[in-house]
Amino acid sequence: MELFLMTLITGILVGGIYALVALGWVLIYKCSGVLNLAMGELTLIGAYVTLTFYEMGIPFILAVVCTLLVGVALGFLTERIFLDKLIGEPILSVIMVTVGLSFFFKGMVEFFWGTDTRVFDPPVFAITPINIGYIKISPVYLWSFVLAIVLLIILVAFFKYTRWGLSMQATADDETAALSLGVSARFVYAAAWAIAFMSAGVGGALLGNINGVNISIGYLGLLVLPAVVLGGLNSVPGAIVGGIIIGILQNLSGTYLDQFFPGGVKQIMPFAFMAVFLLFKPYGLWGWERIERV
Amino acid sequence: MEAAESILRINNIEVKYHEVILVLKGVSIEVPRGGIVALLGANGAGKSTTLKAVSGLLKTEDGEVTDGAIEYEGRSIHHEKAANIAKMGIVQVIEGRRVFEHLTVEENLKVGAHLRKTRSVKDSLELVYHYFPRLREKRNEVAGFVSGGEQQMTVVGRALMTEPKLVLLDEPSMGLAPKLIRDIFNIIMQLNKEQKISILLVEQNVKLALSVAPYAYVMETGRIVMDDTSEKLSQNEDIKDFYLGLTDKGGRKSFRDVKHYKRRKRWLT
Repeated sequence: MELFLMTLITGILVGGIYALVALGWVLIYKCSGVLNLAMGELTLIGAYVTLTFYEMGIPFILAVVCTLLVGVALGFLTERIFLDKLIGEPILSVIMVTVGLSFFFKGMVEFFWGTDTRVFDPPVFAITPINIGYIKISPVYLWSFVLAIVLLIILVAFFKYTRWGLSMQATADDETAALSLGVSARFVYAAAWAIAFMSAGVGGALLGNINGVNISIGYLGLLVLPAVVLGGLNSVPGAIVGGIIIGILQNLSGTYLDQFFPGGVKQIMPFAFMAVFLLFKPYGLWGWERIERV
Repeated sequence: MEAAESILRINNIEVKYHEVILVLKGVSIEVPRGGIVALLGANGAGKSTTLKAVSGLLKTEDGEVTDGAIEYEGRSIHHEKAANIAKMGIVQVIEGRRVFEHLTVEENLKVGAHLRKTRSVKDSLELVYHYFPRLREKRNEVAGFVSGGEQQMTVVGRALMTEPKLVLLDEPSMGLAPKLIRDIFNIIMQLNKEQKISILLVEQNVKLALSVAPYAYVMETGRIVMDDTSEKLSQNEDIKDFYLGLTDKGGRKSFRDVKHYKRRKRWLT
């Protein structure tokens, strides 16, 4: 029972980070209909950028803030350099470009930072676990979760209440109508990429604290795909719940199924679950179904 | 038309889609400041294309103004981007009630206020609710699920939120019940009078359009074939015959007498 609870809670906490990365994914999809397959690499870049700032002696929280800023800049740049020219081209070509981008980013990361695993040194969070009741939780998970949730709330509020957030949603719904009201689609796309870079980057920084920073963070970033699909590709609450479900699933299967299927069951399980889930709910949890008035 | 100063002057424009398909072959229209002008014509005549040429939305469909000029308040605008044209005070209400389906009615309106010129969002909302009290009741409902009339009010209200000087209205009556159409047109006329908004109105409902707009143009296959005051147009034999469904005696026309091969299709060619 104790083991179960611990696994469950760890799952939820990691899931918070996945939710953050998933949100970036959903944003790009919502606004431009593009499934961004370079999301894992955005996460990776975020992890390394934070690490670099941290190694320069900047406190972790400030390093995260700097990563946010770098993320915005990189997001705008990526959109302007690679994707702006593709506006109006078939969505599939744009998705292919994001595949290319993922290889490009991975290459750049290896070029700048090498392939060795690096850790945050000195460790950002205390190693001794915190006791909550009779459950032990390591502080890394707890604080990462808190930070992820704070960012999530900020992003959701931005989306729901600011005029930029609203125009981004409007563009997602009907681009031509939004354009007729003076919403610039180019700006919206650039903003979506900037925010995606931001959330993925911070997600990467947090994941890097848990497992150390190396290329595999990119794969963790990709693990968010089932989370996003599960939530319904264009639903913000869906991304959050999906992220947490994937976190729980991953940890539970790691704890209980690993003895029967040794190896990577932890990595496979979310995808397997996604496939089965989609059989029953093809739109995901809260994906847009076409609204038909009767 | 000489009397009032014009806010919009479309001067003999030619529009091509995909660089080969010629849709507008020399269209000239003038909208006086504070006036309502109607643009009439059958399906595929090029009415919506004309509006899109003005608002700049043409470019998203790979269309282009290849000849002629569009002047708005003395400035040439046919090379401007759609977002900039909206900033100058021209807003197009696209046909087919294109609400942002997944946002609430009020969020829809707020998107219109995103340029935020002089009024605050709150004042703008109050203004819209003043003209469309129904929208106040429905403000928190998802726009995709409200009735057709309410959706039409939402898109007109949304356009009003941008504080426009010129509204390009594309078939606001499409698919609505006659009473609702009356209501909406009354509000549009009020907006024109009280808010001093100039309107270029595209309509299939000719009788209605002629009753609202004092001046009208008739389009056919990419050309303006006629323009006159609504009074004269509604007396015109061809208009009566083709668009109002009346015979020259003024009585209702029987379908038996409509012989399509007899229909005079063109005025100029």
